[in-house]
Amino acid sequence: MLRPSLIRWLALPLVLVPLGWLLFTGLGSDPRVIPSPLVGKPMPAFAGTTLDGGEFSSADLAGNPAVVNFWASYCIPSCVDEHPVLLDLAARHAGALQLVGVLVSDTPDGALGFLDRYGQVSWPTLLNADGGISIDYGVIGPPETFFVDAQGIVVSRHVGPLTSSVVADGLAALGLAP
Amino acid sequence: MRRLALPIAIAALLALAGLAVVEVLRPSAAPTRTEQARQIAADLRCPDCQALSVAESETAAAAAIRRQIVEQLAAGQSPAQIRAYFVARYGEWILLAPPSPFAWWIPPVAVLLGISVFAWWVGGRRAAAAPDAPLSAGLREQIRDEVEQLDA
Repeated sequence: MLRPSLIRWLALPLVLVPLGWLLFTGLGSDPRVIPSPLVGKPMPAFAGTTLDGGEFSSADLAGNPAVVNFWASYCIPSCVDEHPVLLDLAARHAGALQLVGVLVSDTPDGALGFLDRYGQVSWPTLLNADGGISIDYGVIGPPETFFVDAQGIVVSRHVGPLTSSVVADGLAALGLAP
Repeated sequence: MRRLALPIAIAALLALAGLAVVEVLRPSAAPTRTEQARQIAADLRCPDCQALSVAESETAAAAAIRRQIVEQLAAGQSPAQIRAYFVARYGEWILLAPPSPFAWWIPPVAVLLGISVFAWWVGGRRAAAAPDAPLSAGLREQIRDEVEQLDA
């Protein structure tokens, strides 16, 4: 039979150890990382007018892996920083990967001015005038990027400016070489 | 005092649970569609703001969400279905309040439980450290008799 005082001393770690574990795991996680419920699911369909006045829809991606990049001309410096990374990605994977830009709460004039200044792109940019595509993708703010495989499944999402290492991780998730 | 700690803690827990049940089951008048839209917007976090709801924010993203809420209510969707629609896209992060109202009661219940456990633990230590009660005259005599028998 255990003495009451011994039971008390044994009960203490039973309370403190789970508390310590919760504190440790909580401190170890990055509060800025917000998991997307879209990862592992089919990409939300979209269709709309592009910056050059054409039409583009997710159906046009069928069979190709894609990178859907949400951006805006007011998103400085993050969108400026990632722009060369996107240009490099498009140049290295032309034909194997489809890039799509989507404006977030921006005007066509603002976006065209951005591209004039930082470099024209070869991929379509949807105007997303009513913000519906941003809502469908759960976009928090530009820049934000989704990697979608050839079957149309979202394999990863990155919040913040793209870097070469983020792109390498995204391409690896798509089964493509960096 | 120590004897009362557990009953007081249990009574406090029961009172909190009763309040929670009353709050959940309390009937209220059916809100209009505008009120429903405002309430849903107030429950959702503005995606590109700091600590503001969709109802409070003037950003384009918040305006787009408000527009979708109104459209979905007009299409016959319930507030729960509309919240689920946004959670499916943004995750539970988009909700300013936890999905279950009972979640609000977890912190006070945890604090009460912690206080109860601490009081029990400290009370036990004090009881163990308390000096022994003085021996009664009868017991003193009995001990003396037993010692004398041992010495004999």
